[in-house]
Amino acid sequence: MAAPLNSWSTPEVYKHHEQQKICPSRPKYREGRRPKAVKVYTINLESRYLMVQGVPAIGVMTELIQLSALYGVVEEYRVMDEYPAEEFTEVYLIKFQKLTSARAAKRHMDEKSFFGSLLHVCYAPEYETVEDTRLKLQDRRRYVHRVALNKAKERDQAEEESKKPMSSDTAAASARTSCSVDQRSSDTSSKAITCSTSHGHYLGFPLLPLPPQEVPPYKHAPSYDQPSNYQANQCRAIPTEDKMGSLPNAIDTKLQQAPKVSSTASSSGADRGVAERRNPPHAVAPRFIPRTTHLENKKRKMVEVSKESLFGIVDKNEILIGPKLPEQPKMDMADESLNTTANMIRSTLKKVASVPEVKTTEKTKPPKPRRRI
Amino acid sequence: MMSEKSSATGSDRFKYLQMLVTEFQDTDSDEAKEQVLANLANFAYDPKNLEDLRTLQVIELFLDMLTEENENFVEFGIGGLCNLSMDRECRDQILQSEAIPLVTGCLSSRREETVLSAITTLMNLTTPASSAQTTDAAVLQCMLRFSISQSPRLHNLATVFLQECCTEERVAQAEAQMLGHHPTALGIPLPKD
Repeated sequence: MAAPLNSWSTPEVYKHHEQQKICPSRPKYREGRRPKAVKVYTINLESRYLMVQGVPAIGVMTELIQLSALYGVVEEYRVMDEYPAEEFTEVYLIKFQKLTSARAAKRHMDEKSFFGSLLHVCYAPEYETVEDTRLKLQDRRRYVHRVALNKAKERDQAEEESKKPMSSDTAAASARTSCSVDQRSSDTSSKAITCSTSHGHYLGFPLLPLPPQEVPPYKHAPSYDQPSNYQANQCRAIPTEDKMGSLPNAIDTKLQQAPKVSSTASSSGADRGVAERRNPPHAVAPRFIPRTTHLENKKRKMVEVSKESLFGIVDKNEILIGPKLPEQPKMDMADESLNTTANMIRSTLKKVASVPEVKTTEKTKPPKPRRRI
Repeated sequence: MMSEKSSATGSDRFKYLQMLVTEFQDTDSDEAKEQVLANLANFAYDPKNLEDLRTLQVIELFLDMLTEENENFVEFGIGGLCNLSMDRECRDQILQSEAIPLVTGCLSSRREETVLSAITTLMNLTTPASSAQTTDAAVLQCMLRFSISQSPRLHNLATVFLQECCTEERVAQAEAQMLGHHPTALGIPLPKD
């Protein structure tokens, strides 16, 4: 009737474990993205159990399971010591919670290099229990049925749409507009946030991913307007490089710390003093710091910000969030022709600065002061 | 927008499947036939293709393969049917084509993959109307033999078949018959050559 049941301890090597030869003789139109063997997949062959062969025997089980877990929950795994393996490699059995995870894992891991060895991943349905098999078939039937239902629904909808195409279009359009409205409102709200935190220097950049919430913005909210005015005035009056984009945050911070100390109305002189005192190296040669591209600016500002947060100067975070970029740097050389020259140099540098990486190195060194002619 | 796109790709897919069927019918090369057959059977796995495959009468094509001598043809054909029969519309169409004897014939194949596909197909094809045929005594006896097979896959699948597709009485009946005088050759692998 049936063959006698012997209980072999070694697991059998089934045919479906073997890697079949790829088929080299397909015509062009039937060539897939990857060369494959001629093989038919059915639900019987698929399984949430995967066998991974060719794992180098160098103690990388954790790594293998971590890799597998990228594709879904791994329920169980074990080394198959008794399975015939190539020299210096191990064979693993991995049981996923879901068949779809196993499928994804197989697709992504099979034939891939893993610690210098090519993995061979295959389904191992022979490790299923009767219950596993039953559920697998059930799930599959359900899935196919669901897809069929969805397709039928789609077809019905398509028919309806073809009957009255306008209505669906308008529906789609209204959906779109409502969506865009949503976006806009969220935009404005985010803009409002940025404005309130960065003194209106919102330039359309997303917030920097830095810790802006350590100090709530309301601390400085009362004194917002005036300091920023001062700042603007000062920047026009004193040609410091911050408007050129080199160290705007540092200056902003200091300028705004000042009004907190002194009364805002009379602080302009004090601010100036503070600014000048605190920025002696920059005051030396403000004009010749290389003008930067927007990219550089952002990069540098992020560095500045992180530096400052390291220094513990965190209470002015709002300013750091909305990076201030050099709009048109309004530097006054106190001379018409000097201004013109500066502008020309600036525009030339802007053109030259299209390679931002090179520039950053220059900027890290303190700019060499040049002689005034 | 989306539906436009998907319908466009859908028609591309249909053309491609049509090309495959055409090549299968036109070519004289067994190798090419095998490849195309495997392609089609794998396309049958994705339920999105089932409508196209039905339109192209791939069901008949697969059924045709079950009586071929080439074992690959049989394996791929029954594999395709196994995939197709998951879908109820396809199932009904297969049942209309008098497919059950052809499928039960595959239970005697020497290839495990073919036998497994046949069992699953039979399970899928079992409806109140067809169950008399899909679970007749010979099939049940065959499943009983498979259920004590050494191969875990065969054992599992046959067990599920016996549990899901037929009543316990019928199984008991079949068992009694098996011990008595009605042996059947179904499911006993064909001899090599």
